[in-house]
Amino acid sequence: MLNYLTGYLSNTTQTPGEAGNFLWALIYIALVFAGVSGFVILMNWGERKLLAHFQIRLGPMRVGPHGLLQPIADAVKLLTKEDVIPDQADKTIFWLAPVWVVLTGFTTLIVVPFGRTHAVTDMNIGILYMLGISSLGVLGIIMAGWASNSHYPLMGSLRSSAQMVSYEVAMGLAIVSAIMMTSFTAGWNGSGTLSMVQIVEAQRIQGTWFIFKFFPLGFVAFGIFAIAMIAETNRAPFDLPEAESELVAGFHTEYSGLRWSLFMLAEYAGMFAVSSIAATLWLGGWLRPFPNLLAGKTWDMAFAMFPGFLVLLVGFAAFYNAARMPKHPALKPQTIGLWALGVIVALVGLVLMIPAVALRISDIEWFVLKVGFFMYLYVWYRATFPRYRFDQLMKVGWKVLLPISLGVLVVTGIVGLTPEIWKWMGGAK
Amino acid sequence: MSIAPLLRKVLMIDLLKGLRVTFKYQHPKEIYTEQYPLERPQIAERYRGLPRMNVNPDTGETLCIACDLCAKACPEHLIVVESERDPVTKRKVLTNYTYDISRCMFCGLCEEACSTDALELSQDYEIATYSRENLVLDRKRLEAGPEPTEYTR
Repeated sequence: MLNYLTGYLSNTTQTPGEAGNFLWALIYIALVFAGVSGFVILMNWGERKLLAHFQIRLGPMRVGPHGLLQPIADAVKLLTKEDVIPDQADKTIFWLAPVWVVLTGFTTLIVVPFGRTHAVTDMNIGILYMLGISSLGVLGIIMAGWASNSHYPLMGSLRSSAQMVSYEVAMGLAIVSAIMMTSFTAGWNGSGTLSMVQIVEAQRIQGTWFIFKFFPLGFVAFGIFAIAMIAETNRAPFDLPEAESELVAGFHTEYSGLRWSLFMLAEYAGMFAVSSIAATLWLGGWLRPFPNLLAGKTWDMAFAMFPGFLVLLVGFAAFYNAARMPKHPALKPQTIGLWALGVIVALVGLVLMIPAVALRISDIEWFVLKVGFFMYLYVWYRATFPRYRFDQLMKVGWKVLLPISLGVLVVTGIVGLTPEIWKWMGGAK
Repeated sequence: MSIAPLLRKVLMIDLLKGLRVTFKYQHPKEIYTEQYPLERPQIAERYRGLPRMNVNPDTGETLCIACDLCAKACPEHLIVVESERDPVTKRKVLTNYTYDISRCMFCGLCEEACSTDALELSQDYEIATYSRENLVLDRKRLEAGPEPTEYTR
């Protein structure tokens, strides 16, 4: 039993699913669920705080030091709120919609590779599975809009379905061009794959992230995906399904309390999922930057240390802010809390910098850093861009992104097969 | 479409410019919010806020000579000066003074009319109270001056 438990820890080449290790697969499911939920809580605070700083405000400051306990206060508020179901609503579907959305949002995360061994499982159709399941999430949104039996939610869900259909096309084509790149190394190498883990492995073997491959083709495909993924997750500037100034709150207008918070949870889980697709396909997934330029054991160790060092820096930032806190008796508990938080974060950073730990899980840290970068972009866009009109949205989707992604797909194929084409032309002569 | 605007659109120059602006706003020194009860704004010296009656700092006697000029200057007639004549010195002595800030528009005419600088509009702006009666200030409260509220959090 103990062997079964610890045996997997030394496995550095397989995910629990591949190794057929049922227990560790369950542990990883729990870890991913807890990790993403924790991330949603952190993001709840982080988004409000970042958005505030973008708009030269302070954001939450009262609940805990720098508003750090705000998500807890929000959660308590949401859980104690009255759970309203409209009288004329279709009760079963109304009940099912948020459950469905959360279910699909979290099911996609099964194949997300946080590291070579750090995924629940590795399917040979991983990326297809992710796209399929996340598209099912739209059904939940449509269900919510339909079941509410109210105008604004219905319009929100109509917009949502139109938007998803439009942007999934361009998104899918951009993804296909990245998948094609896995099978091109100086011509056709016959090792194309849809597996999330193998896609990253291909980037490691080819020695380049796909964003830089066939420059600027990879970059353009990545750009198309980066735009389409914002539309897919209903975030500003493509947040028409929940446009506040037009549709109150769109498809979740009639939802309150716990059910509403489930929609929020699903939205952030969806953001995490598409960001992890982008990181996996174009930004090298769990791979550290500069593997060719700065190769060798020392550099490996240095880059493995780096995320832990960042965490340590966050801890010191907490110390700095605690020291800078206004000296007011009312703020004393908050100052002490911030010191304590700084100590905890710095300790976590130090633990992450223990060489054995660093080498084993630095891939997770790099992956989370890349996803975190996308999260920052999400908030940055939301703070900067005004919402598109619906016709503009459709125009961008069908008349701009779709042709470009088709073009990129074709050109990627041609560039990738150039050696074969030369050979064929030579042979024909 | 000529080439320059097309390039501008394709390279998303305008969007990037917007992103640059919001990115710069993140600097802590840009933050405009004031954490009100803890940090208070700098009030201009000539701000006309809650009225105050000045006393002679050495003797503690009021500077008011009950001349009634402030009451006459007030466009709202909200100042009432009560006085009696001292039988020995034959001077007017202030007995009571009420100032109804519920009707006051803080024009400062009373302050200007005062010949002894006894009445002064201070920089206190926290006037909110639970009852209308509290807004009618008598001599005692005017002489005590503003009592800033202490917030515990």
